[in-house]
Amino acid sequence: MVNKQKVVIDNKILTRKQLYKQQEKFSRERATLPFEEKIKRLAELQKLAYSWGNKKDVIVWKID
Amino acid sequence: MKKTLEVINELKEKGLIKDYAIGGAIGALKWTQPFFTEDLDILIIPKMETKEKELIMLSPIYGYLKKKGYTWKGHWIIIEGVPVDIFPTDELEKKAVEDAQETEYEGVKTKVIKPEYLIALSIRAFREKDLRKIDMILKQAKVDKRKLNRVLSLHRLTEKFIKFRKKYYGK
Repeated sequence: MVNKQKVVIDNKILTRKQLYKQQEKFSRERATLPFEEKIKRLAELQKLAYSWGNKKDVIVWKID
Repeated sequence: MKKTLEVINELKEKGLIKDYAIGGAIGALKWTQPFFTEDLDILIIPKMETKEKELIMLSPIYGYLKKKGYTWKGHWIIIEGVPVDIFPTDELEKKAVEDAQETEYEGVKTKVIKPEYLIALSIRAFREKDLRKIDMILKQAKVDKRKLNRVLSLHRLTEKFIKFRKKYYGK
């Protein structure tokens, strides 16, 4: 049953397999981002962990 | 981060270390999509050699950083707002540093451990977080499979890698 489920995103209808494939493709694309951009995103993740995740011991990196 | 790398480069320029490279999660992040981590792992080849081979002197490095006003938080030294972990290299890590990719971060030269050695180091550690890192690298980065097999074989890590593959991919 689960294998037959489909996911609708905008005007696309995807199977679970297609959805995972698309996510993997997206991950591979993000892997090619410049190092600097990745570190900026890391700092954003650290900010999120600090505020939303309530991880008050997380040090948000100075990247400037 | 730029200033942090400049300070670490100073360690090399001042002759306190022979060489270094970024490893750990940030090393992996160079080759994968961004993911959360807390610290910057730096693998160093120490300059100081003592009569006793087992003794690695990190005091001059920490002394230099302390003199510059950097402080500790737990096992991290906070360099220009970034928590840094400094590890002296063993045999495998030394090869990883020597093989590391020269790159630039906002115009500052640095080196990052290449995927094949990051995988080998993570296989050796074999904690769950290391295995997840390997999975990400294998799926998202360009990995030279021949080189990986050579490194794994040379450091007797092939069996552990097979164990990882079975656990993650069932083969």
